[in-house]
Amino acid sequence: MAILETRHIVKQFPKVLANDDINLTLQEGEILCLLGENGAGKSTLMNVLYGLYKPTSGTIVLDGEEVEFSSPRDAIDRGLGMVHQHFMLVDTLTVTENIILGSEPGSGPVIDYKTARQQVKELSERYGLQVDPDARIMNLSVGLQQRVEILKALYRKAKILILDEPTAVLTPQEVEELFAVIRTLRDSGVSIIIITHKLEEVKAIANRVYILRRGRIEGEREIADVTKEELANLMVGRSVVLTVHREPHEAKPEPVFTVENLRVLDDREVEAVDDLSLTVKPGEVVGIAGVDGNGQSELAEAIMGLRPATSGRILLRGNDIEHLTTRERINQRISHVPADRQRFGLVLPFTVAENIAIGYHDRAPNSRGLVLDYAGMEKQAEELISSYDIRTPGPLAPAAHLSGGNQQKVILAREFSRNPDFLLVNQPTRGLDVGAIEYIHSQILRMRGQDVGVMLISLELEEIFALSDRILVMYEGQIVKELTPAETDEREVGFYMTGGKERSA
Amino acid sequence: MITFDFIVNLLVATIRLSTPITLAAIGAVICERSGIVNIAMEGIMLIGAFFAAIVAFYSGNPWLGLLAGIFFGAIFSLLHAFATVSLHLDHVVSGAVLNILALGLTRYLMVLIVGHPGTSDPIPVGLSDYQFAIPVLSRIPVIGPMFFNQTPIVYMSFVLIILFTWFLFKTKTGLHIRSAGEHPLALETIGVSVYKMRYLGVLVSGMVGGLAGAYLSIENNVSFTEGMTNGRGFIAMAAMISGGWHPVGAFLAALFFGFADALQVRFQVFKIVDLPEEVFIIFPYVLTVIAVAGLVRKSRPPKAVGTDFMIERSED
Amino acid sequence: MNRTYSTALNAVMVVLGAIGSILWLGATFRSGETYYFWGIWLIVAAAGVYLVRYTLENGRDELLALVRKSLRSVVVPVMGIVVAILIGGVLMAITGYDPIAAYQALFYGGLVRNWHISVLNAAPLIFTALSVAFAFKAGLFNIGAEGQYYLGAMGATWASLYLGLPGIISIPLVFIFAALLGAAWNVVPAFLKVKTGAHEVITTMMLAHVARYLSPVFIRANGGDPATSLHPYVTFEILENNMLPSFSQFMEHANYRVHTGILLAIIVALVINFLLYKTRIGFEIRAVGENKDAARAQGISVGKNIFRALLIAGALAALAGFNQVNGLDHKLFENLQAGYGWNGISVALLAGGNPVGVVFTGLLWGMLDAGGQFMSRTTQTPSAIVEIVKGIILFLVVARYIYTAISQWWKRRKQKQTTAVAAGQA
Repeated sequence: MAILETRHIVKQFPKVLANDDINLTLQEGEILCLLGENGAGKSTLMNVLYGLYKPTSGTIVLDGEEVEFSSPRDAIDRGLGMVHQHFMLVDTLTVTENIILGSEPGSGPVIDYKTARQQVKELSERYGLQVDPDARIMNLSVGLQQRVEILKALYRKAKILILDEPTAVLTPQEVEELFAVIRTLRDSGVSIIIITHKLEEVKAIANRVYILRRGRIEGEREIADVTKEELANLMVGRSVVLTVHREPHEAKPEPVFTVENLRVLDDREVEAVDDLSLTVKPGEVVGIAGVDGNGQSELAEAIMGLRPATSGRILLRGNDIEHLTTRERINQRISHVPADRQRFGLVLPFTVAENIAIGYHDRAPNSRGLVLDYAGMEKQAEELISSYDIRTPGPLAPAAHLSGGNQQKVILAREFSRNPDFLLVNQPTRGLDVGAIEYIHSQILRMRGQDVGVMLISLELEEIFALSDRILVMYEGQIVKELTPAETDEREVGFYMTGGKERSA
Repeated sequence: MITFDFIVNLLVATIRLSTPITLAAIGAVICERSGIVNIAMEGIMLIGAFFAAIVAFYSGNPWLGLLAGIFFGAIFSLLHAFATVSLHLDHVVSGAVLNILALGLTRYLMVLIVGHPGTSDPIPVGLSDYQFAIPVLSRIPVIGPMFFNQTPIVYMSFVLIILFTWFLFKTKTGLHIRSAGEHPLALETIGVSVYKMRYLGVLVSGMVGGLAGAYLSIENNVSFTEGMTNGRGFIAMAAMISGGWHPVGAFLAALFFGFADALQVRFQVFKIVDLPEEVFIIFPYVLTVIAVAGLVRKSRPPKAVGTDFMIERSED
Repeated sequence: MNRTYSTALNAVMVVLGAIGSILWLGATFRSGETYYFWGIWLIVAAAGVYLVRYTLENGRDELLALVRKSLRSVVVPVMGIVVAILIGGVLMAITGYDPIAAYQALFYGGLVRNWHISVLNAAPLIFTALSVAFAFKAGLFNIGAEGQYYLGAMGATWASLYLGLPGIISIPLVFIFAALLGAAWNVVPAFLKVKTGAHEVITTMMLAHVARYLSPVFIRANGGDPATSLHPYVTFEILENNMLPSFSQFMEHANYRVHTGILLAIIVALVINFLLYKTRIGFEIRAVGENKDAARAQGISVGKNIFRALLIAGALAALAGFNQVNGLDHKLFENLQAGYGWNGISVALLAGGNPVGVVFTGLLWGMLDAGGQFMSRTTQTPSAIVEIVKGIILFLVVARYIYTAISQWWKRRKQKQTTAVAAGQA
């Protein structure tokens, strides 16, 4: 029995047709997957379902009845629950407070906290989602936070649960746990929609899958009847090269970059990098694999001089650089592609040319003495726009007008054109579509081919495996294991990522 | 000269002088907790002071003046709410503009209604005439005269501190307001309107700010003078920051500034040190700078304060 | 287009514009009519030369695009002004004054009869507005410009009372001294902002109050003897060599009161514009103002640039004080027709934070003030209505400005909003 149906849903934004005539059904008690790459329109569709967006046209049918949601409140009242990719949790409040938010027990204005805690406890026991009701969200791990999000939906008696990229922030082990929870929910009568771009997960958990591409449904399949390759092709629309081909490349013997016994504190004065050492040789890609929050950002910041190290050494070409400022390190030819491109990588209101110039804006061709040389800046930008195939109206277009992929290309153009000896790349393809990912991967490998030492930090194991010559697993601020892609697989890396220790035979 | 009486006197004056700051500060706490920066507090207080004095004068009833102060403070704050929440204007800019507007408006209305700029005519009956001592409690040494023998608005401020704390941490709406300032999107996706919460936050600060202004003109004084707020709105912001965005903390910080103010007056009057009077007058301002510098590190503002929140709900 | 032609045209444009501005600004209508109109025509001619050069260099389509862009940026303030005037008119009508007569007097007084007063009013506003606008570019709100103004005024007075060198040497010295004092007044707020994150709105505001109370002390120490002089206190008059020349010294028929401070203001505005948009320092300051995280990641020192911005802003506001003391009053009054700092904020906001724009909005404000006084003298309408009109203009323009200026940011917000709301990408 179809519990949820969308009929001819269209959602038009000013410049983008995000959803184009979407017809799908969700059967009661099934686990349905919505597959598509970044930018396909999956999240827009879910937000329409959840009442956050009004569809430009089309209808939603719930339990056989046509419904119109003017706000998430309506959707919630009708039994829809959503777990967003970026959690909707208030850090400073407790688990209980977050779960009951908007539906607080208690007559009159006062909140009945006692009943609330009781209810939360019962709920978490019933579904096997153990969590401390009085803990503050900011002190919880990502996996636990996700549990709170699911409990939020269950607290409101959701009969349909929508999960948006639920595994993006989880380790392989946590993914297994999540899947177990999902199956339990399904068995207790909840119908589930999972939005994802990960093919293996689709195969692992879903009954059926819809493939979305550029806002349209490209296909619908029963999981049992379809192969990963078929799914990938439908997702991207052409034969997909699932990974970029990494030629073997001989790295130079002398390391260009070394970290020795580094210790770094995070914002809460807790040790985030704990006696960490590593080396990077010219011409190799060293991939740092790890779950988000194990010290990778602090390590990157310390390397770039954005965060002080409490002890340890950082060496570039054999020279200590801990005492150098960020500007001086950049002058020493370290390049950095930061994780959050819009926050740390670009000044969005500035033009493409200015964004390419920044960091080197105090020298030719960007300035002559104290005065800026806009002609020189533009010329350089034009050259780079052409060599990096950046789609932009021109060098004077504000960076904010570019798509995510092109913004990232601007950053690459800037950083790579400085001929670095050492390149630090952090989450280079987050949120980008397959085409952009392919391009960026090939550029990174090109730098590798030019004997640049590359350190890649990524949360995507696929990416780590595709690009790295060596894989270092980072857990709780330390490198706990070194592997090569040839001799290991994602399961094993995931094992170390979650703190697994080698068993001594 | 530093007698026991002098000290009690000083402490009572501290309460008196800190009251407008307390009121403005706890209002600002609610406002900022909902996510809106309210620099316009200075202007709101001025508007409240003006209308309180005018209405009290022409009606002969200071209580009506009190209500007028609250009412017009609220109305004026609606402008700020509209500008920041619905028009998505920068909070600080809107606040600054409204302060300028308040100055101009009060000056114009002064000339219009009273006939001349400067200071309005004194009201016959002020709220200070309604000072009363609570039996028994006011006999307690030191604490008694400080807290239990005061004028009406001062008593109201005590009640409001407790009320606001209870409201913020024990009620549903209070939880919603706090969420609106920390993670508005989370609140919106649960179906509670962030816009409504922010309007509420600003409105509350408008009412209490108007009350603070009324205190200045008809309880602590008997008339309205142009610009009589004199920076107190900003000191209240500093008190809010020093107080960790908590009503009780803001109250304690406001007491601190009130103390400095009371002290400064006594230094002047008793010529304890021989310096031009202005040196003493500036003391509270300097103190504010020090306070904001020293304490900002420790207290953390609501995460989403000052940031705009926009709903993509329309069909484009 | 040939480089020499381009330079030649540029030179012609600058000369025409400069002479035109000087004539126009220095004139008063009654005694200097010819200057007034000649001035305007020369400025128009200069603009024409600019357009010609632009077309020859870039083609007709580009010219049309430029025109469209300029109109768009001007439409918003103009709309704001028109609506505010209407609302003001309604307010006047309701409260029993005659809006038509009042506005007639306002515009006649401000634009024609007392044009020189408009110019006199505008100069300090341009300085303080530059101060606020410059700080804006760094993401800072220099709300305490009023205090820096007082510091500049006090410093200029003190130096001008005692520095007896020939004007050519001493005036620049006084200029620099005043600027330094204004910059110094912002050292503490800048330091606290960088080291502790203390919000500059509160610190500069508090220091502004402090400065306001320090000035009577200064005045009393420099001539304002309560025993012999009347309230309001005022200092002695500054030495003659330190007074800014007035236009009447080299232009016949020019009003003797209009001094060359306005030229200084315009020149400083152009310098600041150059600094902001054409130099490395300006680039860094703007980068920090737009996105300090990205600036920092590229090695730009956020602290250094915040310091630079606040100190320069302090210096600029102080120059307003210099302008008033050395140009107009030639002494320091206790209750300086205060408000240059506060009004400077309005002027800056009205110009959208643009350094060249503040020249125009400063002149507008100056005109409104001069016209307002004329209006209240001749029609008995209280000049405070002008304050209200200004407030409304400000409110409307700022609201609209934010709307149009960030319509691009809006798109980015939508993208980010979509990302956040959709928890993925649309």
